[in-house]
Amino acid sequence: MGNIMSSSFAPECTELKTKYDDCFNEWYSEKFLKGKSVENECSKEWYAYSTCIDAALVKQGIKPALDEARKEAPFENGASCKVLKKVRTNIDIELGAFIIIK
Amino acid sequence: MVLVHKNTHIFQHDFRSVSCAFFNRYPNPYSSHVLSIDTLSRRVDTQDGKLYTTRLLKKQGKLPSWTSSLIGRVSDSWIIEYSVIDPKLQKMETYTKNLDHIKILKVEEYTTYYYDSKNRNTVVTSEVKFSSGFHLGIKNKIENWSRSKFDESVKKSRMGMSFVMQKWEEQKSIKLDEETSTI
Repeated sequence: MGNIMSSSFAPECTELKTKYDDCFNEWYSEKFLKGKSVENECSKEWYAYSTCIDAALVKQGIKPALDEARKEAPFENGASCKVLKKVRTNIDIELGAFIIIK
Repeated sequence: MVLVHKNTHIFQHDFRSVSCAFFNRYPNPYSSHVLSIDTLSRRVDTQDGKLYTTRLLKKQGKLPSWTSSLIGRVSDSWIIEYSVIDPKLQKMETYTKNLDHIKILKVEEYTTYYYDSKNRNTVVTSEVKFSSGFHLGIKNKIENWSRSKFDESVKKSRMGMSFVMQKWEEQKSIKLDEETSTI
C-alpha cells in the first residue's frame, strides 16, 4: 500500500505535516464546512510545518518552475477563471486545428 | 498536439466526505506512485468565504516506455494542485498540472465536485488536457496512451477516494459499536 502515512517530500517535515493535517482536518470538517469559523485555527502547526517546507524547497531543482506556476494562482479572486478560460480557449483552437489536420 | 478527455462520476457520499477524502486521499492502495504531498499555502478569502489551497505533489514518473527512446528515462515528476471550496454551495474546483517534463508532455486536470441535494450524492466531472510538443509521427501513440492513461488514472483516483471514505465509515461504525457497548 505504499506509504503508511501521507509523507512530505522532505522526510524531516513529515511529522510536522501530520500535526498540521490533523489540525486542519478537524477545523475543516467540524468548523469551516459548518459555517462556524473562517479563521485559521492551526496557525501554530502551520508556522512550524511551512517553515520546514520552505527551507527544504530551496534545495529542490523544481523551485524556479514552482515559483513561476504559483504566480498563476488560477482560482484567486475571480481572476481565477481567466487562466482556465485561457486554457479552454486554447483547447478549442488547438482541437479545431487538430480535427482539420486529421 | 493537444487531446482532451472528459468523464463524469457520482459518489454516493455527501460533500463533507468527498472533500475531506480529496484532502486526505493519499496514501491509498491505488496510489503507490504518489511519493509525497505538501500544502504550500492555504487561506479563507474574507470576501467570498471560500477556502483556497495550493499543494505540491511528487509522483513516480510513469511515462510510456516508447518515450524513453526520445528523452531517456524520466524519473520523478512534480505536480501543483490548486483547489477552491465554496462551503455554502458545497462545491469544489481543482486544477492540477505537472511542473517538469512539460516539453514532452503537459497534463492538466480540471475537476469540479458539487453536492446534488436532490439526489443526495456528489457529482464529479474531470477534464484532462494532454499537450505535447511532439507531432505526427507518434501522434497516434500519444493519443492511445493518453486515453488509456486518463481512464486508468481517473479510475484509480476515484477508487482511492472511495477507499478512504469507506475506511472512515468503518472506523465510525467501530466507534459507535464501542460507544454502545460501554453504555
